[in-house]
Amino acid sequence: MSKIIGAVEIGTSKAKALIGEVSPSGSVHVVGMATRLNEGMRKGEIVNFRKAADAVHSALADAEKMSGTTVDEVYLAQTGSYLKGRMLRGSASVSSSDNRVSASDLQRASEEAKRRQPDNGRTYVHHIRTPILLDGRIVQDPVGMIGSKIDLGYWSIDGDDQAIKQALHVISNYSLDVKDLILSSIASSTMMAGPDLRRAGTLVIDMGAGVTDFALYRQGFVAYTGVIPVGGDHLTGDLSMGLRILEPYAEKLKIEHGKATFDPMEEGDDVWIIGNKTIGDRAIPRKAITDVIHVRIVELFEIICKELEGLLDPDELKGGVLLTGGASLLPGVEQVASKVLGLSVRRASFPSGIASELAQPENATVLGLLHYGLEDHSLPGKKKDDADVGFLSKFRKMVGLCAQD
Amino acid sequence: MLDSLANSEKWLVFVPKIEKYKPNNAFTTMSQESLFPKETSFSLPNDLSGIRAKVIGVGGAGISLVDGLRFDNFESVENLAVDVDNRALSDSIAGEKLSFGRRHTRGMGTGGEHTVAQKAMEEEKDVIRKKLDGVDIVFLLAGLGGGTGGGATPVIARLARDAGAIVFAFVPLPFSWEKGRHKMAEGRLSELRKIANAVVPLPNDSLLQMGGNDATALECFAEAGRYVSKGISAICSMVFCRGMIDVDFVHISKAFNRRAGRTLFGYGQGDGKDALRQAVRELLICPMLHLPNVSKAADVLLIQITGGTGMGMAALQQVSTEIREEFNAGEHVVFGAHVDENMGDRVQITVLGATDLEAGTKVVDVAPIASDIISVIPKSKVAHPSKLKQKKGNSITNENGKKHSSKNNDKLDQNTFSFMDAENQRGIFGDLPSRNIYAGEDLDVPSYLRRGVKIGI
Repeated sequence: MSKIIGAVEIGTSKAKALIGEVSPSGSVHVVGMATRLNEGMRKGEIVNFRKAADAVHSALADAEKMSGTTVDEVYLAQTGSYLKGRMLRGSASVSSSDNRVSASDLQRASEEAKRRQPDNGRTYVHHIRTPILLDGRIVQDPVGMIGSKIDLGYWSIDGDDQAIKQALHVISNYSLDVKDLILSSIASSTMMAGPDLRRAGTLVIDMGAGVTDFALYRQGFVAYTGVIPVGGDHLTGDLSMGLRILEPYAEKLKIEHGKATFDPMEEGDDVWIIGNKTIGDRAIPRKAITDVIHVRIVELFEIICKELEGLLDPDELKGGVLLTGGASLLPGVEQVASKVLGLSVRRASFPSGIASELAQPENATVLGLLHYGLEDHSLPGKKKDDADVGFLSKFRKMVGLCAQD
Repeated sequence: MLDSLANSEKWLVFVPKIEKYKPNNAFTTMSQESLFPKETSFSLPNDLSGIRAKVIGVGGAGISLVDGLRFDNFESVENLAVDVDNRALSDSIAGEKLSFGRRHTRGMGTGGEHTVAQKAMEEEKDVIRKKLDGVDIVFLLAGLGGGTGGGATPVIARLARDAGAIVFAFVPLPFSWEKGRHKMAEGRLSELRKIANAVVPLPNDSLLQMGGNDATALECFAEAGRYVSKGISAICSMVFCRGMIDVDFVHISKAFNRRAGRTLFGYGQGDGKDALRQAVRELLICPMLHLPNVSKAADVLLIQITGGTGMGMAALQQVSTEIREEFNAGEHVVFGAHVDENMGDRVQITVLGATDLEAGTKVVDVAPIASDIISVIPKSKVAHPSKLKQKKGNSITNENGKKHSSKNNDKLDQNTFSFMDAENQRGIFGDLPSRNIYAGEDLDVPSYLRRGVKIGI
């Protein structure tokens, strides 16, 4: 029997719904996918509930129609500047007399770590486990090993209650359950950076329309995630203000002529705003367009650099920096990023086996949701049938994606 | 006009005398003979109508602005410089000078502490009151990033309002990379907005965007001076001169008799055959109208057009309609047109608008109001419906600016210049309730403005 699962990303410019079929053999087939322009959201936050809900619902309806099935549960991506991450740590001493670590020791450490409640009015969105230390050594699965103390940590993201409820509401209005909330940056980085890259250490930056999400992996585990409320829309806004043109024209100029770095060969080149020489059309130097964009992009990466202060060690990030998301399509953005971050930067590519029409940077998050959802994130030694994730986890090896945590 | 703003360390108060319009000629007819020979100049010396205006420069930046003011046609405009710094005052060429705060500063500066200037000014209210006696229009010029400008200006504005004057303030704001100063200036700006009838901020950030590619800071200050001159000339010429389309003091005072939640101020000029159209075009791309937090809709709009003798009535009519629609101005539009034969084929358009965030409330006096009612943060719009808000409501369909509204196009003919749609001209994040603050900077404000990068268009 195959299982149908869904994934929804409520993005600032587009709402995306994806339906996947997990076949008994364990492979995931995307059987339905739909995208709708979302006008109810700005900078990663819902500002107009009805519009956002309409966009998500019609995307879901289309995806269901395309797949010929219905979904009951979806994984939902979470982003927005209201999300804050912090490291929670817990430890436990090994309880058994022979100093053999048991699953319950791990469980106690985990409970201690998660005991810390978020501030009033905030809820945890996502706990991401970081390595388990047994007497100071990193171990994959300590159960059965000899030691005296277990340490583990969770990179925990909490967010504003209201904002999270609103996103959940969008889904429940469509009579669907949200199976799990998954941080957008984690979803897209799961998709774009394979296990080997994550072990080598990598930074994945997902440049969306409203926000830029990033996740930093070290030694295979998440070390930091963040959301910068600056995205492609800001480029449009800056162009509209800097060139004093209407926003739709700014958007058009950005897509057609936008570049992150100025090419001196183009000095003196002009482009027309509208292009049909109607009244009000003006020629604008290419340099002006590039200048506006360049400053913004440099600033964006400077902020990321500042957020990750101390973590951008080239020796720990042998996997380099991967860019994805719709705004990463801007020509020249990798060069700018590389200059600012001082690391090698490239555009992320999808693993093989993803249909080419799906393999667009803007789909990284929604595709990643499915794959992250299919992974097993439970503690080692925990009985697999405890959790829902466990039920699916038997497929994960066969899916062949991202298996280790 | 004003190129000499070199001494940016002075504040100046400049008070023009308002010349009266003669009642028998008050409603100037459109007939060419009666209009042009007489109305071409703004100054009718010694012909005081009883309306008095004063330009007051406060602190270093204010004084240099006043020193730099040039009103080609307002010889009789008075100016007053106010500062705590005696040396800066003595360099000024202002007609009247007033130093204050000797007790607090011993004639030296405030060192950027606006509280010092505020306290000193409060203690010497009476002196200022005397200077403000009988003045109907006060133009306040002050750099809000400075101690004296930031501290004393709101106090003077309040005293002027108490004395029954209309207060227009033109206030240069520091570059946003001058972090501390910029922050303080913003605080003082919202303070001043609660008091003055109209406050026109002149952020250095956007002034930098004007002028040549390698404009210096000095040129940028000169630009501020030019704007201030344009603004003051526009208002003075409305009040003191008779024009093709006349406006009197009562009109202006009625129109602006409310608090200045947000203001807009723009200037455009054109010459040659298509001067009027060119001026409108320039007006619409005026950087002062393209600032974050600048309202693009106005409850009150003052439009002043000055042109040469060739200016046609029909064209004027059309331009005024366009501008009016551009800013979604309601019934409070003050439209003035003046003919100045010295203009040749040039045309200048100046607009000054204010949107009261607290719709309908007139400022009866300057009784203290809850400080959160009018704040620079657009959040307050929610609680106080005003025209600005309504406009937004009506425009839900193109809220995100995806569509180019054509609402004006059907009723205007082919010549109409309407490619700028007010709807979409608001900074695209201007309607969001929260600001996007990171390390003290609002990330929604274009980076090039905050980083002082000049964009050559």
